[in-house]
Amino acid sequence: MNRDSVMARLQTIFDDIFLDPPHLTPETTAEDVPEWTSLLHISLLVTVEKAFNVRFRVGEVESTKNVGEFADLIVRRMKGA
Amino acid sequence: METINGDKTEARLNKAELKDLCRRLHPRFWPLLKQRTDEATEFDDLIFLSTLRKRAIADGLAKQNLADVRSLRMAILGGCSLYPLSELLAHLLDTAGFACQFFSGDYDNFVAEIMEPGGAIYEFRPDVTLLLPGVQRCKYSGLLTDPREMVESFASDTAKQLLSLCNTLHDRTSSEIILGNFMLPARRDLGEFRTRTLASDWSFRKCVNLELGLNAPHFVRICDLEFLANRRGALQSEDPRGWFESKQLCSTDLLVDVSREVTQLVTARYLPPKKLLALDLDNTLWGGVVAEDGIEGIEIGDTSPRGEAFKTFQKYIVSLKERGVLLAICSKNDHAVALEPFEKHPEMQLRVADFASIKANWQPKSDNLRQIAKDLNLHLDSFVFVDDNPAEIEVVRQFAPEVTAILLTKDPADYAGQLQDCGLFEPRSITVEDAQRTVQYRSENERQTLLASATDMNAYLESLEMKAAISAFTKLDVPRLAQLINKSNQFNLTTRRRTEAEVDALIGVPDHLCLSVRLRDRFGDHGLVSIVIGRCSGDELTIDTWLMSCRVLKRQVEETLLNEVARRSKAMGCSRIKGIYIKTEKNDMVRTFFSTMGFDPVDVTDARGEYTLELATFHPRPTTIAVQEGS
Repeated sequence: MNRDSVMARLQTIFDDIFLDPPHLTPETTAEDVPEWTSLLHISLLVTVEKAFNVRFRVGEVESTKNVGEFADLIVRRMKGA
Repeated sequence: METINGDKTEARLNKAELKDLCRRLHPRFWPLLKQRTDEATEFDDLIFLSTLRKRAIADGLAKQNLADVRSLRMAILGGCSLYPLSELLAHLLDTAGFACQFFSGDYDNFVAEIMEPGGAIYEFRPDVTLLLPGVQRCKYSGLLTDPREMVESFASDTAKQLLSLCNTLHDRTSSEIILGNFMLPARRDLGEFRTRTLASDWSFRKCVNLELGLNAPHFVRICDLEFLANRRGALQSEDPRGWFESKQLCSTDLLVDVSREVTQLVTARYLPPKKLLALDLDNTLWGGVVAEDGIEGIEIGDTSPRGEAFKTFQKYIVSLKERGVLLAICSKNDHAVALEPFEKHPEMQLRVADFASIKANWQPKSDNLRQIAKDLNLHLDSFVFVDDNPAEIEVVRQFAPEVTAILLTKDPADYAGQLQDCGLFEPRSITVEDAQRTVQYRSENERQTLLASATDMNAYLESLEMKAAISAFTKLDVPRLAQLINKSNQFNLTTRRRTEAEVDALIGVPDHLCLSVRLRDRFGDHGLVSIVIGRCSGDELTIDTWLMSCRVLKRQVEETLLNEVARRSKAMGCSRIKGIYIKTEKNDMVRTFFSTMGFDPVDVTDARGEYTLELATFHPRPTTIAVQEGS
């Protein structure tokens, strides 16, 4: 999977979870989306790990700045790199 | 609700429907939210549901049944992050009918929070306090080789310190306390040696957990993390990443288990205790149908794997009785037939005297349960009913909704485990009186007289959405037709047996009306369940055979079939139907069948009855079964 297909899949996950789903761009951050609370964030990571069958390493999700970087991280973890 | 045996539903939570109801502020949102919450097994699904709930409240969607809501002040303290655990708890308790106010302590500050008089928790005045110490508080600081007595005394002190904190909190607030014990390590560290010393984390935590449980006063209930993690799997329960990132107690999976367990512990304080277990018989306490297979044919005992499974289930039920649970039989059977295995079968673990009440008859089970409640002077909400038949469970859920009805899984190997997992007969303490209760209730029962029942059976039957396919005999059906003809004893008017060849010879014979009925309902297919064979001579159709499987008794299959027989015999040029009943030892159930169906008696003795039905004046009998025409 590349960044675009990961972004597309992330969009369907957001559409599923959010009541008013945001349109995701690589620049989107949690601050842009009122519904994206810290609670929803915890839950979102669990959902993403299941959906992409990946496991993030300690501390690395925190260091992503926006949805684009998060998607890149998913791509890397899917490759097992 | 958590499922058993890894029989986990793969179906993902349908979020769209709930979101839509939430957006439209639809009143159906709340019951559906509750249902989905009860079913949810995944952490992220529960968080989604919790988020929606808060959104609905913020948007002003009013809840129903506010009268049933109890207020509850709950404090959560611990040696770990209490978030998002508090979020899960808030959601589960809210949907369980509690209006909660929460107090969350600071991370790993619980000792000071409890010790300091007049601290924030004492201003909050909790009704219930959840205390989760965290494993860093449970470690032996000496050497692995220290003498056992030394480590034991240290473990005992560790437990005492925690229980003494509980005491302090209880003294100052009267709060009940739910105390989490300690998860065991999931890793292989120390190898085999971990079991040879009490000083290893593995042994030490087990020892402290035992000390906690065995010494906890009545106001402390243990939230058994050791058990919960063991049940889910130690590796799946620990989450070092979650600890490093945000001081999480455990994995999100185990967090769901913990919050469900705590909710159950809180809820159990307010629910009426279950006192009676009502049991179906055929395919519940033994394999097979005693009325059909006979006492020699039922599966019970160590001679077969299935028989052994049923025997083990019975043994577990005996142990429930020893704990003080009352037992009752609620079975569709003739009384005498139903009791035969209890009286005569050597492998049966349960005996007639074990039951406080026995209802083996043909009344709806919901009525029988009501009757048992009256006889024993108990409330229906203290009843648990167990059956392998989904239709019977549905009757009880619809017409005796106070009863907790448990549908057994399809495999008797899991019956005992399913009952062990139901969480309904968890004792707080066992007394001698408990064990003597059966005797008392039996005598109470004997004093009571029967009372008539009134249940809207028709509404129930409608809800089953039954469909019957009625067709002439076919070659393919011959084995099943012959089997039913030779096995049916109870609902069998003439008990005329036929070989497969004889059944085969009936196909396509003119002047014969040979019909079979297949029945389906919304729970599934019952297969071929009823047979009629009629001979036409002149303008009269004589019913040679009329039989039906007792599985579908009182489902209006008889009425539906009679309508079809009348219609078809008219088309064959008949103007009346002659019915014959021949008495056997087992078919008393259908002695009055023809008169009930509107036939006129012609020549009726004790051993045999002849009846007639004039087709000119016959009106089809009302039924709730939709008939699909076969050939």
